[in-house]
This record gives sequence, C-alpha cells and structure tokens, in this order.
Amino acid sequence: MKHFTNDIVIGLEIHAELDTKTKLFCSCPTHGSEEPNARTCETCLGMPGSKPVLNKKAVEFALRLCLALNCEISPELIFSRKSYFYPDMSKNYQISQYEIPLGKQGILKLRDGKEIGITRVHMEEDPASLIHPAGLKESQYVLVDYNRSGNPLVEIVTEPDLASPDEARDFMKQLITVLNYLEIFDINDGIIKADANVSIKESDYARVEIKNITGFKEIERALMYEVSRQQDETSHHKKIEQETRAWDSEKGITFTLRKKETEEDYGYIIDTDLTVVEITGKLVKEIKKEMPELAQDKVRKFVEKHKIKKEDAEIIAAEKGLAEMFEKVAEEINPILAAKWLRRELVRVLNYNKKELHEVEIDEKHIIDLLKLVENKKITDNVASKILEKLIEKLFDVKEYIKKEKLEAVSDISELEKYCKEAIEENPKAIEDYKKGEAKALNFIVGSVMKKTRGKATPKEVNEIILRLVG
Amino acid sequence: MESVHDFIKKVKDGEIDIVEHTYRLIEECKEINKEHNYLNTISEEQALDSAREIKIQLKQNKDIKNKKLLGVAVSAKDAICVRDVETTAGSKILQNYKPLFDAFVIQRVKEEGGIIIGKTSQDEFGFGGFSVNVGKGFKIPKNPFDSERSCGGSSGGAAGLTQKLSNHIALGESTGGSIVEPASFCGVYGLCPTYGRVSRYGLIDFSNSMDKIGSIGKTIEDAALLMNVISGYDKKDSTSLNVKTDDYEKYLKKPIRGMKIGIIKEAFGQGVEREVEKNVCNGIEELEEEGAKAEEISLELPIKYGIATYYMIATSEASTNLAKFCGMRYGAVEKLEGSFNEYFTKVRSNNFGDEAKRRIILGTFARMAGYRDAFYLKAMKVRTLMINEYKKAFKKFDALISPTASILPPRFEDIEKLTPLQHYMIDIMTVSPNVAGLPHLNVPVGFEKNLPIGMLLIADHLQEGKLIQLGSAVEHGK
Repeated sequence: MKHFTNDIVIGLEIHAELDTKTKLFCSCPTHGSEEPNARTCETCLGMPGSKPVLNKKAVEFALRLCLALNCEISPELIFSRKSYFYPDMSKNYQISQYEIPLGKQGILKLRDGKEIGITRVHMEEDPASLIHPAGLKESQYVLVDYNRSGNPLVEIVTEPDLASPDEARDFMKQLITVLNYLEIFDINDGIIKADANVSIKESDYARVEIKNITGFKEIERALMYEVSRQQDETSHHKKIEQETRAWDSEKGITFTLRKKETEEDYGYIIDTDLTVVEITGKLVKEIKKEMPELAQDKVRKFVEKHKIKKEDAEIIAAEKGLAEMFEKVAEEINPILAAKWLRRELVRVLNYNKKELHEVEIDEKHIIDLLKLVENKKITDNVASKILEKLIEKLFDVKEYIKKEKLEAVSDISELEKYCKEAIEENPKAIEDYKKGEAKALNFIVGSVMKKTRGKATPKEVNEIILRLVG
Repeated sequence: MESVHDFIKKVKDGEIDIVEHTYRLIEECKEINKEHNYLNTISEEQALDSAREIKIQLKQNKDIKNKKLLGVAVSAKDAICVRDVETTAGSKILQNYKPLFDAFVIQRVKEEGGIIIGKTSQDEFGFGGFSVNVGKGFKIPKNPFDSERSCGGSSGGAAGLTQKLSNHIALGESTGGSIVEPASFCGVYGLCPTYGRVSRYGLIDFSNSMDKIGSIGKTIEDAALLMNVISGYDKKDSTSLNVKTDDYEKYLKKPIRGMKIGIIKEAFGQGVEREVEKNVCNGIEELEEEGAKAEEISLELPIKYGIATYYMIATSEASTNLAKFCGMRYGAVEKLEGSFNEYFTKVRSNNFGDEAKRRIILGTFARMAGYRDAFYLKAMKVRTLMINEYKKAFKKFDALISPTASILPPRFEDIEKLTPLQHYMIDIMTVSPNVAGLPHLNVPVGFEKNLPIGMLLIADHLQEGKLIQLGSAVEHGK
C-alpha cells in the first residue's frame, strides 16, 4: 500500500461511453429509437445460445485513449467475465477485463501541470438501464430497458494522486477534453460516471468509496460533502469506517450503501467465447497515424501559425470547442485579438453563467461579427463585452442590434468633448480635488462620461480629453 | 448397413413420398419414445411443413436435387436452439422456452434440405455421462439394447434414437465425451470435431472453451455426411475457425495402408472391463489387417490429470453460463415476491436439478479469489501441457486409440450406487481429447452380452478426415 502524506487522498474510477455506431459485442445500434428495448438482439439480451463478437472500432477508440494517456499497451486484449447477480445484467456476468487491462501506467496532467497517474484503462460492456417508476426507494418493481445493454465503455482508474475535490473536478474536465479531442466520446449525449475513493489523514486514511457520480460538475460537490463529513466525524472522535456510499445529487449528500470488510468477489474467469486479440505494433502505429489532433498539437500550431502567446494558446486548446472556434475566428480576425477575446471574455462570461461552451448556442459566426466591429473600432471593448454576455443567453444579429440600440462608438471628438464638458461642470468637487493633487479624482469624471455615452467611448480617449480640458 | 445415401437418392428420384414418409417417421418416433424417452420434443408440425415444402419443390422441378440432406430426418440435442421449437437443454429452468433464432448448425441442415424432427434428451445442460441427470420432470432415456441400462450421455437421446430410427442422423454435442460415449453405449458412430470447426452459435453453453457440436450416425457415411454440412466458418461465433473445410466423405473407404496408430498404454489394463478390452483389441487388429501400423504409446498426463483439469475448467465456465437463468427474461418463473435476490434464488432452487447445483457450487468455488490461481488458472496451464503432449504424439501417429468407455453400458441400479466422483470417472477416456479440442470418433467394434462396445479414435486438430478413413476401414473390414 502507498504511504500517504496528503491531507486528502482521492482516487477515481471513471466509466465513459465510447461513441461507436454499434454495441461492443453485437451489431445493435448505440443510438436511435428511444422506445424501450427497441435496439436489442439475442446477444445483448443474453438469450441462451447467443455469442459475443467484438466490435473492432471500439478497440480502436480505446487504444486512442490509451495512447493519449501515455499508457503502456498490452500486447493482447483478453476479456473476462465479472460475475454478479443484478437485474440490469443480461447474463448475470459482465464482459469486462481483469488481469491484463488494455492500457496501464499512464498519465494525465491537470490544468496546473500536476501529473495524475493512470493505473489502468480497460474495456467493458454497459449493463441495461433500470427504471424505477416510483423513485429509487419507493418503487415496488423496476422496469429494465436493454437499449443500453452492451454499449461499449472504457473504465479509467487513477492512482490516489488527487489531493482535493477541486483537483478531482479538474481531472474529470481534462479527461473529458481528451475524450472529446479523440472523437471517441459524445460530449452532448455520452454518459460519463465516476466512483471515487476518498480518505483523509485524520482517519488514518480509512477508505470510503462513493458510487455513481454522474458528470464532472457533480464530482466536486460529492467530494466536498464527503471530505467535510469525514472531517466532522473525526473531529468529534467518531471512527470513519471502510464502506461504500452513494451520492444523492438532489439532496447533496452521500449515504451508506454497504459496509464490508473485504472486496466483493466477482469470481473472474476468462471469457472463452471471445478469442484473444493481438494488439500488434502495426495496429498501434496505424491508430497513432490516424489520431485526431490533441490539445498539445493545437498549442504548437497556434503559437507557430497564429503567433499568439503560448499561455493563451494553452487555455484555448484546453477545450476542443474553443480551439476549433479560435481556428475559424483567426481566419478573419487578427489572431491576437481573437485569442484575447476568446480566452478572457468568452471564458469569463461562460464561467459567470456556469456553462460549458458546448452547452450554449454561440458560434464562430457571431463571434466574428462581434470582433470585426471591435477590430474596426466600430464599438468599444466595453460594449462588445456586454453584447457577448447577451449572446450567451440568446443568439441575435450583432450588427442589427448595435444599430437598433445606437451602440456605435462615439468617435466624433467634438461630441465627446461636449459630454466631457458637461461632466466637468456637473462635478466641481472632483475637479477641485484633482487640482489639490488627487489624481484619482479624475476617474470619477471619466466614469460619468462613460455613463453618458453608454460605454460607447473608450476610457483612454475620454481621459485624454478631460486632461486637456482641465489643463 | 444402409446409409441415408440411398434414401436421399430415392427422395430425389421420386420413389419416396417425403410427406408420407415423414408422417410415418414421426409416428415411429412417438412409438420409440414410449419406452425409450429419446426425444424431449417432437417437432411434428415443423417437420411436416418442411416435408411438404420439399415435395412441392420437387414437383415444380426446383433445383433442389443437389441438396446434401434432402428429406433426411435430423434430430438435435436439446441444447441446440431451433427456432420456435421448445429448447430446454434438458432443464426445467428452460421449460417452454422457444428460441427466436436457429443455431448455425440448424440453419445449415435446413439449407441442405434436412428435416428437423425434434430435440433429443440429455443430461441437464450436459452434466453427466449416463443421461440420468436429466432435469426435474424429464424422462431418462434408455439403452436401445437393454432398457435396464444407460444409453450413455450426455447426448444419450441422440445416440439411442440413431440406433433405433432409420434414415436419421443426429446432432450431438460434446464437452467432455458426450458424443462418443453415448455412441459407444448405443453401438453407433459418433464424430466430435475439432473445437471451432463447427460453429457454436445457438448452442446453449456448458463450457465455452470445450463445447463442440458433432454428428452421430448409424454408419460412418452418415456421420461424415452431416459433418460436411455443419462444419465451416461462422462470423457469429468468435471461436469459429476460419479455415477451409475438408470434404469428409472423400475419406470414406480410402485405403489406410501405412497409417500409424498409437495405442494409449494407460487406457488398457487395470480398470477396463475384460470384454471391452478384448473387442477394442479386435478393432485394432482389423485396422492392422487393412495395413495400418499399430504401436504402443504412453500418454501419462491426459489419463492422470484429464478428469481434474476437465472438471475444474468445465464447472468454472458452467457456473457463469448458468447465471443467466434466473426467471427474468425466459424460461421458468415463480411467484414474484421479495427482493430480486430472493426471487432469483427461488427460481434457481426450484428449477435446477441436483447435478446442475453441484456444478454451480463447484465452479463458483474454483473461481473464488484466493482459489482461482490454485484451481482454475492451474487447470488452464495443465490444459496447455496436455495439448503439447498430444501434439508430440501426433508427430509420430495419425491417430491414437483407446476404448471409448472402460465399461459396458451400466445398469441404472448400479449407477445409483456411484458417488459423484465415480460418476465423473466414467469420462476418463474421453475428457482429455475434449480438453485438448482434438477431433475424436467412436467406432462400434463388437458386442458382448448383447451390448455394444466402442473404440475411440483421436486425431490431431482438423484431421477429422483421418478418423473417417480409419473408421470406415473398420466398418468395411467387418
């Protein structure tokens, strides 16, 4: 066992759906009719006599991920049966991988460059989905929908290298970025779930597992709750027991599922219905060759081709959607201006709205329209920012909006001077203070002019005029 | 003895009215079943439909005369899925289950004009060597020569029916000897091919790494003919071999002069009934008379560790294969109450037989953390060593020979006295070639006390042709 030193120790087990057209072991489609059990056959229903046949595309997708995470790749792909009885299991065993995972000993970097170890990456099939008609605890029965049964999943297990809920969230975010770049995960509809192992120093690192946290935003919430629960308990001299808990997203709490001394025994054996697939050097080479551009490739390209700062390039490339938007915008707008706007303003507005780029409608066309106006000094930065905020909520024609709202920048000096004179006259006290040596007092006048022009003037220009007028 | 060959010719030439014939044949099956219980299900309607279709096509001069099995009655072991025909693998837990699809072999038989007449009785899921471990409520098939005795297993119904019914070939299935052993007890030819030669698609699994579908025929010609129809690559079975198929019929009556056969030393002597040994030796002599060269060879590993290795792998795999039967999607159901765990337990407790439960427990134990290295994984390694030992022998020999069973078909009253382990030992001759995935053939070599005795021929992977060559030499030497 590792010797821990951090105050908080977190390890994750993440399941992500691979975005293949067909299921892992049969040719049923992974997308299509949502009518329950419409996308099923004898194999994904586990009918007697049916046999699995491996989806080669899913293997390619999983290999892409192993390569992107710098994993050591197993020369052989071997599937095992993980046996346990549960109503969502079509065969009461899940075809998974055990002894030899497809990839092991990889690395994924967090935003701040910290390296998180990847213990293993393996492939497995998704169980069916259970529908509790009257809610999880109250239902007298469950309905089973096998549409999902047999969908391809990758399981990614990290080393217990994460030291805070924030790092866990960031890890998930970085992982989703990689999955998205690799074009193996549907960022809009794909399911990504995590189980987290959490322990704290005060309890001598008694390990608590939290099951089934959906999505990367939830992970931080669940972990924050669990860490503070463990801290509270230990500070009241209560023992943290090794146990499995579940995350209730609605109530925002974790609760005990089962307390067990030992790990569950799944009685793994090799699934001899499937033959061992050789992962040859040739195959790996081919997959490498066809790998889509990753974030680091984009950074290099942005710096070399568009001459933007590496720091800006890294922030933009951290999100595939943002990077792709930048590439398109930079064709029409000065890349440095584009970079500045995308990485600062767009990211700021998204964060403020607690949205991801793929969750909003905004597209490169609207960004280009907006930045064209900025580039040509038709509108001020200030006005552009406000328009961007509005665009995140709902799309509209930027040019028309500016015309309608009369938001063109005031470039006519005589008109600006008029506003400045007014402001000076209205605020004699500020002028007095300024003349006494309080340079800051002028800011008040500038602010007043900005208000009068509804931000259509640039503060720099206004400042110059006032200085000239005040003498 | 007449093979189905002449029958097919008569069907093609219009000398036999296939519909009339099928009516009579179904009646005969019912009659045989009254005493012998060879068929769990007689698929009367489907069989007659097939016969009528053939008759119409013949009338319309449709080009069906090249069909290899035209009008031939074919039975399927109950573990083989036949669309819309109750398929239970001999278990109460699958009662009333009608598959939605045909097994690959059934498809092939139908394509070649064969008529599926029903599902033959067996030990539940193939768990036995005497067909006495039938599922709850199923009837035990009886030896065609003596109703007080076993017809062998687990493809007991298939072998017995083949002995009793003319113009019929059976689809059997073997995991540890379930084709050749009942064939031996019923005096017919049982051909179990190389693992992967015949698709397992649609076969209800016992032990995936060892299950093989094969043919049982009254004559070696019949067994070879059906093997020709069912062998070949199937993309729906990942373990199916993508290797060109041989024409097995061309090995029939092919001279065997100069072929080398190895007599497995450890398979004779102690523990083998005198009458069995005598007749198998006669069979070897016949081969020598036809020009084969026989020599003794020691194969210690297969005889010594065969049973242990086989039961370790077979029960481990079986215990996972049987997990899916829980009363949720198909087969037996019980009153819905309690948690899912309680419900599954009730369904499985009430509907699995004792031997099925024993093997689930054995297999689950062997897979447990802490034991799997010592049992399951060790057995997998021994399997590799056994294959190597056989491979070495096949550098020198075309085929290896032993008795198929060390005893004459036993009486039911004697079987009852056996402990489970003694019961398992019946497979001692046959498990090892099954563990190694080697093709093997039962050749009837004689009778003692009016009971048949069989000789087991084993060949290297994909050398089924040699088995047929040698088997037909014994037959024609008679």
